Amino acid sequence: MIPSGPHIPQPRADALAKALGAERYALDTAPADCLWAGAYRPGAVPGPSFGVAHGRVRSVDVSAALAVPGVVRVLTAVDVPGTNRQGIVHKDQPVLCDVVRHAGDPVALVLAESASALRLGLAALRADIEPLPAVFDPELALKKNAPLLHPQHKGGNLLLRAVIAKGDARSALKSAPVVVRGAFSTPVQEHAFLEPQCGWAQMLPGGLHMTVSTQSPFRDRFEIGHALGLNPFSIRIVAPYLGGGFGGKDGSTVQCLLGLAALNSDGRPVRMAWDREESILAGYKRHAVRLRYALGAERDGTLVALSCRLVFDTGAYAHLGGEVMELSMEHAGGPYRIPHVRVEGRCVYTNNPVAGAFRGFGVAQVSPAFEGLMDELAAALGMDPLALRRKNALGPGDVNTSGVAVTSSSHLPECLDLAAAHPLWTGRDEWRKAAPPFTLRGVGLAAVFNGMGYGRGLADMAIAKLEMTETGGFLVYNAVADMGQGNASAFALLAAQELNQEQAAIGLVQPDTERCHPSGSSSAGRTTYTFGNALVRACAAMRRKLLARAAMALLVDDLDALELIPGAVRHKATGKALPLAVMARFLTRDDRVCVAEALMPVAQNPPATGKDFVIGFPHLLFAYAAHLARVEVDELTGRVRVCDYAAITDGGRVLNRQGFDQQAQGGAAQGIGYALFEDFRLSAGVIKTRDLSTYLIPTALDLPDIESLAAEGFEETGPHGLKGVGEVGMNGPAPAIAAALSDALGVRLRDLPFTPERVLAAVKSGRNKSGRNKGGKRA
Amino acid sequence: MKLSFHLNGTPVALDTAPDRRALDVLREDLRALPGHGHTARGAGEADEGRAALDVKEGCGTGECGVCSILVDGEHKLACLMLAAQLEGRRVTTAAGLGAPGRPHAVQRAFAEMGAVQCGFCTPGMEIAAAALLARNPAPTRAEARRALSGNLCRCTGYVKIVDAVLAAAAMLRAERAAPCETYESGEACESGEAGAGEGGK
Amino acid sequence: MMVLTPTSLPELYDALALSGARALAGGTDLLVRLRTEARRGENEPTTLVRLDGVPELRGISITAEGAVRLGACSTHAELLDDVAVRENLAPLGQALAELGSPAIRNMGTLGGNLCTASPAGDCLPPLTVLEAQVEIGGPAGLRRMPLAEFITGPGCTRLEPGEAVLAVEAALSDDFAVRHFEKVGRRGALAIAVVSLAALLKLDGRGRVAVARLAWGSVGPAVWRCPEAEAALLGVRPTLPALKRVAAIVRKRVSPIDDVRASAEYRREVAGNLLLRLAAL
Repeated sequence: MIPSGPHIPQPRADALAKALGAERYALDTAPADCLWAGAYRPGAVPGPSFGVAHGRVRSVDVSAALAVPGVVRVLTAVDVPGTNRQGIVHKDQPVLCDVVRHAGDPVALVLAESASALRLGLAALRADIEPLPAVFDPELALKKNAPLLHPQHKGGNLLLRAVIAKGDARSALKSAPVVVRGAFSTPVQEHAFLEPQCGWAQMLPGGLHMTVSTQSPFRDRFEIGHALGLNPFSIRIVAPYLGGGFGGKDGSTVQCLLGLAALNSDGRPVRMAWDREESILAGYKRHAVRLRYALGAERDGTLVALSCRLVFDTGAYAHLGGEVMELSMEHAGGPYRIPHVRVEGRCVYTNNPVAGAFRGFGVAQVSPAFEGLMDELAAALGMDPLALRRKNALGPGDVNTSGVAVTSSSHLPECLDLAAAHPLWTGRDEWRKAAPPFTLRGVGLAAVFNGMGYGRGLADMAIAKLEMTETGGFLVYNAVADMGQGNASAFALLAAQELNQEQAAIGLVQPDTERCHPSGSSSAGRTTYTFGNALVRACAAMRRKLLARAAMALLVDDLDALELIPGAVRHKATGKALPLAVMARFLTRDDRVCVAEALMPVAQNPPATGKDFVIGFPHLLFAYAAHLARVEVDELTGRVRVCDYAAITDGGRVLNRQGFDQQAQGGAAQGIGYALFEDFRLSAGVIKTRDLSTYLIPTALDLPDIESLAAEGFEETGPHGLKGVGEVGMNGPAPAIAAALSDALGVRLRDLPFTPERVLAAVKSGRNKSGRNKGGKRA
Repeated sequence: MKLSFHLNGTPVALDTAPDRRALDVLREDLRALPGHGHTARGAGEADEGRAALDVKEGCGTGECGVCSILVDGEHKLACLMLAAQLEGRRVTTAAGLGAPGRPHAVQRAFAEMGAVQCGFCTPGMEIAAAALLARNPAPTRAEARRALSGNLCRCTGYVKIVDAVLAAAAMLRAERAAPCETYESGEACESGEAGAGEGGK
Repeated sequence: MMVLTPTSLPELYDALALSGARALAGGTDLLVRLRTEARRGENEPTTLVRLDGVPELRGISITAEGAVRLGACSTHAELLDDVAVRENLAPLGQALAELGSPAIRNMGTLGGNLCTASPAGDCLPPLTVLEAQVEIGGPAGLRRMPLAEFITGPGCTRLEPGEAVLAVEAALSDDFAVRHFEKVGRRGALAIAVVSLAALLKLDGRGRVAVARLAWGSVGPAVWRCPEAEAALLGVRPTLPALKRVAAIVRKRVSPIDDVRASAEYRREVAGNLLLRLAAL
């Protein structure tokens, strides 16, 4: 049955080209005469250095590699000009290493004439690495004599320690009538975008030119410039549509290595494409976190106090570790009113793979903890879990757990009300009782949220450039990379609406640092919001300009007498129209361009806490959601099937329902993977789940038809009232499924992922617990 | 070896190593052949020749499906095929499902039903869908999911992709039911088969 | 590597006799393995010998004795499409339906699954309970042996250099009331089995087990049988309590290993549990 959801007459602007197989991604545009560049990562290949996660490079024997026909150059750390340090905030990551700090660290770069020569060249390299003591546990890494990853770093292995506090949580917990506690853990998660990290580059007379799959083209120039000693403004980065990003392409992945290759290729273009194994080995990851929580409440369910301690394993380099922890800590108490709060976080270096940005940015990790304890609290109080959440849910006028007032559009209560009325929730008892043989059924609910934007401490700004073309159409110079979230199409739609033009009249230029204006990274749920706001302003300026120019030609003295219609400016009273195509010919190019910027609003009067954070604290705008999961557990195998799933999201006003649903469904799918399937295995710094046959993301047979509902509001500061919804969907499934499993098994699982093995153990221990009949045939 | 086969309805012939991956033949080796010019987009891009750049590489081990192609109408994976195995075959990639200027129902459905986000899995998904619809013109959602089960998507959660497969099935059934009313006279009617002249299994 | 495409058995044997030659069927296992070896800098084979051009290796037919003969180069999809396989070799059909993915099923072959001889090979437990015979051809002629003898360990078979598996023959099982296969993977497709069970039970007029054939996958170096479990089922109705007792025997006897997909303890537990599913059939 074809679903009856809204069928928009105008599909996404990028959809048809992609569906025709005509859209060209970064690697597709690489010239035919490229040199092939590849990084040598000795910790990854069989040999004496296999699995070495911490070591000093004594020497690299390049002779055998150079003897391979087709190998052109082999570069090592001494060949890196500049600082040989990349990083988004902290410049602590070498482009090529003298000291290896995780098993995927690169020690050499090979340039070759062909893919096969590259492969042979890489296989012929030998590195002599003196192993150093290594540490893989963040809590051990904090101990006094732990091996140090960055001896120059003042805090030792502690990248950042921070506290967010409000009121007096310690005393409040002591006196709270009901307190529930729990220790939780979340694993590393792999982005597993279908397009691995890739790009190509060439040194041209004007500077370095690079086409790369990146979420941060403007910032990349500075990372490359700092690392390689190049003037960032001489670097041109073009960012075509990405084949997925999710945070894993925020910051230099191939960029600095490609830049180094291009500096050494005698002007020839160079290409680099990580295969899947290298993508898993060397790509950034979601932070694994340990969480210890205590939540206190009154007997009527009013939340009183939260205290928690969080430990983040940030791996070998900082990337965005501090920023992830910041956002995590802001969300640690959940979307609730809690007067007394103490959140303490430590972000720690280890010799594990590098953790960085990933959709849900620290919030995915705390969500199963705060929601897990809300469920335990509800059970302890004999209260309905939805009612408990409804009672404490943040709404306008409230203050969140970080002490920030909710001044923006906020509709979590409405999300919960929709959940309460949803058949998945109302029918849960009957559904549970109808379980087939060897099956236990459960239904779970989660309330989640996710802040938007960069927060305080740096300008969350975008600059939109809009041009009327020589033929009277329009070009939007998109400056925030589209990694599939559809922001480029949203901009085309916005421009069409603002300018009252046909969709077909609006063209898009994808991010190009030479043609578009700096607008920050494609991340943080900010792209449509911030650039959208800038674009609305640019459209307003364009509209005013076109009316003013037309007034001269139409001999009209009052601009209010004119209007923009598709393809023309029209005098309302007489109907006389001046075609835009005609106007375009008598305007100079400069006069056909409008540029406007927008800055995301920040919290005024931020609370007097979170002082350890240089950037981020606090955020002001949040998306909210309530998620419902219906699961079946096979008692014989522990396998969990998500039978039904609903995501009810507050993203302000819904500009494009299809795009809104796409984000909700996609986020939920990734969250279900995180909760059930994605079991990243790491042992002494060596990744055991090396490829897609062992690191499993959900297939079409592993997910239900995820339903997406909207609790619509209107965010006054957002373009046409919208908020960013790209991330919040990611955070719901782990807590919702944990709740559903608890409902099914009578046992709470606190360690993600909920593998069949863990669930089977819970099935057994649940059977040994109270004999409350949950329905269904028990084996 | 001298390799010749049909790619999206027209013959190609080239010299390549017999153990070259089919994926590399399609993405790299075919660049040397003069192009048709109807697939390349944008200005300033390297000449693609006859390369089938819609066939992607995501894993190289058969685990992700983005390299999906039809070989004599059967859904196969180009990363696990050798050049020698293409000899004499009719190969269809996603870009070859429709005719120039007339997208295939599967492509229209994917675009309209919101099944395309980043788009990297899309060509492979369309191949899987086309193979399914050639055998089963009225699949259920479960059958569609099964047909797509070897094609990973990280963006969509598959819901709208399944919607698109069913929508395409309906479009194709409607076209078959009243083909000559749908198109202007003189134009060939679009069959339910994958690619020009390609038959289902 | 050279790629040869013999079109007859003599040509095939000559090609396989070349030094450094490896047989290529569907390629879904071999090409992945060669890729790993290449990335490690290991030497590649000199010659790949394609099996898909030899007519004797294709086709599905019924033999004079009434067995189903499956050409070794039949793809999984071809087998699934065949009525004789689906109806008469039910556990094999059930296994094939979940093997890999649609494209993998179009490419991968039965012979390939056998010769890869993975402890987790999906076809192997069903072929074991079907008492499949493997027909091997080579320059010295034909030979046959039971599947259980053919596979000697992970990745190891009785194939001599220059030989190829020509066909697999399996007995009809339509007088077995219970024809069952279950694969436990970590997800619903593209999943290597973590534990699997193939079961054939023949029942007497009073519903008691007259013949029991059980075979587990992924719990040992090759397909694992448990004669004690089969014996314990004889003369008994396969009710849940009875199966629970047999499951306990299985858990005592089986000795699986830990690997990245599952622990030994989980495999042991589930190997027993899978028997309980028979009660619900």
